Amino acid sequence: MAELRIQGLAKSYRDVRVLESIDLVIASGEFFTLLGPSGCGKTTLLRTIAGFQHQDRGEIVVDGVRIDGKPAHKRDIGMVFQDYAVFPHLSVAENVAFGLKARSLPKSEIEDRVAESLKMVRLDGYQSRLPAEMSGGQQQRIGLARAMAIRPTLLLMDEPLSNLDAKLRIELREDIRDIQRRLGITTIYVTHDQEEALAVSDRICVMHKGRAEQIGTPFEIYRQPVRRFAASFVGTMNFIPARLEGGRLFVGSQSLAFPAGTAAGELELAIRPENVHLGAREGQGEGVALRGEVRKVTFLGREAHYTLATEAGEIIAQVMDPSADFIAMEGRSVDILLPLAKIALFDRDGNLVKTGQAQ
Amino acid sequence: MIRPMTRRFRFDLWTLVLIAAWAILLLLLVWPLSSILRASLIDNETGAFSLVHYVDIFTVKAYQRAIGNTFIAGFGGMAGALVLGVTLAFVTTRFRIMGRPLIQTLAVVALVSPPFIGAYAWIVLFGASGVVRKGLASIGISIPPIYGVAGVILVFSLKFFPHVFLITSGALAAINRSVEEAAESLGVPPWKRLFTVTFPLILPAISASALLTFVLSIADFGTPRIIGRDFNVLATEAFNLFAGEVGGNPGMASALSVVLIVLSMIVVFGQRWLLRKNVYYSNLIKKPEQQRVKGLKSFGLHLLAYTIVFLGALPTFIVVLFSFRRTNGPVFQPGLSLQSYEKVISTVSDPIWNTLLFSTMAVTAIVISGTLIGYLISRRPSIATGSLDALLMIPYIVPGIVMGIAFITRFNDPPLALTGTGLIIVLAIYVRRLPYSARSVAAALKQVGPNLEDAAISLGYSPGKAFLKVTVPLILPGILAGGLMSFVTAMNELSSSLVLYVGRTITMPVRIYLSVMDGEYGTASALSTILLTMTVVAVYAAFHLSGRKESALL
Repeated sequence: MAELRIQGLAKSYRDVRVLESIDLVIASGEFFTLLGPSGCGKTTLLRTIAGFQHQDRGEIVVDGVRIDGKPAHKRDIGMVFQDYAVFPHLSVAENVAFGLKARSLPKSEIEDRVAESLKMVRLDGYQSRLPAEMSGGQQQRIGLARAMAIRPTLLLMDEPLSNLDAKLRIELREDIRDIQRRLGITTIYVTHDQEEALAVSDRICVMHKGRAEQIGTPFEIYRQPVRRFAASFVGTMNFIPARLEGGRLFVGSQSLAFPAGTAAGELELAIRPENVHLGAREGQGEGVALRGEVRKVTFLGREAHYTLATEAGEIIAQVMDPSADFIAMEGRSVDILLPLAKIALFDRDGNLVKTGQAQ
Repeated sequence: MIRPMTRRFRFDLWTLVLIAAWAILLLLLVWPLSSILRASLIDNETGAFSLVHYVDIFTVKAYQRAIGNTFIAGFGGMAGALVLGVTLAFVTTRFRIMGRPLIQTLAVVALVSPPFIGAYAWIVLFGASGVVRKGLASIGISIPPIYGVAGVILVFSLKFFPHVFLITSGALAAINRSVEEAAESLGVPPWKRLFTVTFPLILPAISASALLTFVLSIADFGTPRIIGRDFNVLATEAFNLFAGEVGGNPGMASALSVVLIVLSMIVVFGQRWLLRKNVYYSNLIKKPEQQRVKGLKSFGLHLLAYTIVFLGALPTFIVVLFSFRRTNGPVFQPGLSLQSYEKVISTVSDPIWNTLLFSTMAVTAIVISGTLIGYLISRRPSIATGSLDALLMIPYIVPGIVMGIAFITRFNDPPLALTGTGLIIVLAIYVRRLPYSARSVAAALKQVGPNLEDAAISLGYSPGKAFLKVTVPLILPGILAGGLMSFVTAMNELSSSLVLYVGRTITMPVRIYLSVMDGEYGTASALSTILLTMTVVAVYAAFHLSGRKESALL
């Protein structure tokens, strides 16, 4: 159990700034995810916390003690790697005992902890196997047990599931989440998979170009993005050009009253596909009304996506539980409503100007 | 305040290794080779700067013939090895051939036996008093002796094809079968597919092995010397000029050496330039399948494969067989006897001990420094290590005979007068084989993800301990296998030792060479058999250590 505090952490490679003054406070026992595309700096941040890389500026503080001067092997941080990094020359039990031996614990305790850790990751009975005989998912379970066995103050995970196939990924992520909850260990998890981030995290930090774009709970990140990048990276989002002028919002040839204070100028209107309303507009409240032609229908099982061509640009709409005649919609025209309560407006710098929710 | 986190220059173990590596290569590689360049630009009599030796190359017929012959030997050996090697690789990877381990073993036997033994064995069979030739003459068939260009190319082809075979079969086994199936489904017939899909895909492997066999062929000294007779190449011409009975012509020998190095360099860079784009990466999803064939076709394929490897291994069998024959000078008598071995033990056992001692010394040094340098190159990339890596390319293209001449010219006088010592032979072998070891360690380290060391560090081990506990155990089999292969090449080193030896420091390959030249075929056979036995033991151990991967033998 430990609280992690990061202040003004910055790092550059030659002239490229990979981390731009990162500030984070991660509460004890929290499952905190760094989410972003490759090259956003999330792995660099994680490896800097672990001590494999060094920042140019800033502090890393665990429970009030600065750790950024310590070498990696003295930080007491457990790490799980993308490529598992299981020692191929050691058996499963020897892998898990590896870190315990460095701590010169009594033999009986090492044995107990190895057994306990393997049971936790459901690898009981595999003690004497060699990693080469095991599947990718099992190897990552060894990696997890190995990191947990030393009972570290922090657990760092660097895309631990990205080398596994889809089904296994979901199964193992549930296990990781359960074990983390049970032990209450402060965990920092790196991923580029937004669905994975939403599923496991207490809080998420969306990163882009070395910057923390938004920090919040999965709900906040998905439903209340405050930066255009977070809105576009997590889930699907429609972006439609719009304009604010004299208290009115203009979209295509449509306009409606939109009290937005002093804000004015060219903007982007953002709305999730599941919030786009098709057909009769009774009872939907106020919104931008458009007409569009269904260009393409994509059936996904429990939902279908319509790609609609409108005067304001292309809009994706989601239809839940599509009925059998959904495909017949292709080429037809439909009424579209973008409910004001569900839209968000972003300015040219990607900052949130206003959401429609207050209305 | 905690110390600022800027990347400062830190003086650690690896800095020391870097400095030592540079010092070693400057002393044992750059400095000796510079003596050759210098000697080639100086008039032997006056000691003044002169281009006379290079002018001679373009005016004297003998030197032009040597250059021409070098090309003939190089391309001839390359072409022969390619035909045999690619054919064997194709037959064994694409068709079900019985006794595959036997084929591989025979190819390895051909690979590890030194080329001059091959040359000598073919003389025993088809030389002036060759057994087969005499046998054929007795039933009225007369064929010319094997000496000359045909013999040289024959020996090179049969000696070097295993390189091509091992490299090419690796590439053939790594072609995704779906790619070939795709070609077939697009309507390309199998025979056409071979040339439009399969060959282009393995072209990098073929050209790499072609380059290797060309460089090996033009660098080889023993074969043209023993079986070539009047067929002089640059390596033999340089040796003759250097060790000539009438004082020699060190300037001319040096100029020819420079030409030989430049030739190798052109080939190496030419191959790199040709292949600058032709590297294909593919995710291996489906491994190629071996086709089952029956009847006459199966018989033909088996005959083809076994003929190739049998001819390759034939010299080895001949040498072993004839070491037990009764001899009288160059003539083998009917009947078996251990007289050749008795003679070796009683009169010429020194070379055996010298060979073991020199090889052990050189290989110990190679393994230790090669491991450290290999780690430096792969895990501490910088300008200094990058240029070190480039410098390590040089021994690949400098023939042994040239290295020998360079060493004897540079280390003849103070400050480092080493001529006549065993140390100079050891150092020549060391610098010639160091790059192989360093590069194989660097390659082995590429297989060990750096995350493994990070994992150990995160579990509480210091970086030094993490290296010892995780990385070293993982690359140790590779290091030992590489060391044993260095031992094999060290034991079989002829050309540099031939320039550097004196009576006391004679080695087995030199003794065998001299015995062949003197017509003492019995002694040569017995010594060769002993050398082959030692070689086979080392190779078998290396094979075992490396998990039976043939690639460890290259």
